[in-house]
Amino acid sequence: MKALIKKEFSLCLHPMAVVFLSFAALVFVPNYPYEVIFFFSGLSVFFICMAARENGDLAFTCSLPVRKRSIPLARIIVAVMFQCALLLLTALSIVMKQAFFPDELLVNLVGNSANLAFCGFGALLLGVFNLVFFPLHYKNPTKIGVPFVISSVVLFLFIGVMIAIRQFPFYAPLLAPDFANYGVKLAVLLCGLVLYCIMTALAAWLSGKKFERVDL
Amino acid sequence: MYALEVNNLRKIYPNFTLGEVSFSVEEGQIAGLIGRNGAGKSTTLKSIMRLISSEGTVKVFGKDFSKEEGAVKELLGYVGGGFRFYPNKSLSVVAKTVARFYPHWDGTAFDRYCEEYALVPTKKVRELSEGMKIKFSLALALSHGAKLLLLDEPTSGLDPLSREDFCDTLLSLKEQGITVFFSTHITSDLMRVADQIIYLSGGTLLADEPLDAFLRRYRLKMFASLAEAKAARAIGAKAVKEGVEGLVMDISDGREATLDEIMIHLERAKKETV
Repeated sequence: MKALIKKEFSLCLHPMAVVFLSFAALVFVPNYPYEVIFFFSGLSVFFICMAARENGDLAFTCSLPVRKRSIPLARIIVAVMFQCALLLLTALSIVMKQAFFPDELLVNLVGNSANLAFCGFGALLLGVFNLVFFPLHYKNPTKIGVPFVISSVVLFLFIGVMIAIRQFPFYAPLLAPDFANYGVKLAVLLCGLVLYCIMTALAAWLSGKKFERVDL
Repeated sequence: MYALEVNNLRKIYPNFTLGEVSFSVEEGQIAGLIGRNGAGKSTTLKSIMRLISSEGTVKVFGKDFSKEEGAVKELLGYVGGGFRFYPNKSLSVVAKTVARFYPHWDGTAFDRYCEEYALVPTKKVRELSEGMKIKFSLALALSHGAKLLLLDEPTSGLDPLSREDFCDTLLSLKEQGITVFFSTHITSDLMRVADQIIYLSGGTLLADEPLDAFLRRYRLKMFASLAEAKAARAIGAKAVKEGVEGLVMDISDGREATLDEIMIHLERAKKETV
């Protein structure tokens, strides 16, 4: 698996995957739908898969001494690395924002505020993307656009729901900066991370199962 | 010992069926997989490599492919045509990446093969000619100590001189004890290097035997008319400039047939039967 992951980095990595990590800094923009940061993570997965397809990567990898089933897992692990890096950079940006920005700029008027709970929602969005995109892609690896469009539509539906429910009074504690309602936000973060792990693990299992039956 | 054992390999496509193909290749032999375009040669090789999902069992040096996929692939070198992957990467980057997968990778051997095949490691894959791409694939396979090479139409994009070089390479590999199983529709290459032929037609196995025995079995005979050819039970009789020619199995009759001629008449006979 280590060799497979290194192969992903040395032969398949698209430079845009790294560039999109910098989009974590979008949390500094006042009153912005920060949830789209996680859409860019999906876009980086799309670029990696596209670069791999154009390079004939899957057929080549299948000739290497690895189980066919473990090939999707390696790419998903690489995607997870980028997603974790994005979550971490987003969290760091949030800490900096809360340290240096005035209080009136910390509450977001168009989406979730940048705080701990937002990172939990971000993890949930990433998990949803993984669960929809990867199994669809590995069912037919020549297709990247259709799985990406479907997973993006699902992602934006979730984002829409998140933005819509912020109007309800019960949601108010999650919009405040981190020094208020710390416990609830931490709980949301943990729930988001757990759901992310479950959905990504399920995505890896389904992708491996589907890829084994694929004719290259 | 068998280097490769294939049993009841079966793959069904909407318009083509590879039906219950079984054959084996002895260790140290060069076996050629022949057949016309669409006969199922690539399907067979891809099924062996599990690039496509199919029924049947494949054993490499006694190891079951489906149960010991990783270990079996360490014994294999697969060359699907030329090296069509990662065109913008340099040969050294690809080789370094591949090396991580093989515990027995021999970097010195890779350098030696690069020198022998005139491959420049700093060159990018897209800068290689078709012949050089095949040589690069071979260098990769041989540097990890592959005992069995599976080659899919390796000579189809090569000029006659490069094909000659390739055949020389195969013969030198045989001397090193490496087993080669390659598909081709260029029968002159087979005549030069193959010990055994496996002949596929329309997804079914027509022959699996030593090349000499296969060639000895048929003779080509001329007839005055189609009726005469039919009376003599000539196989795949067809009109030619001088009359009608067909294959006969009486070794005292007619002249030696080339592999091309045998294939043409057998295919024709099969078509007539259908």
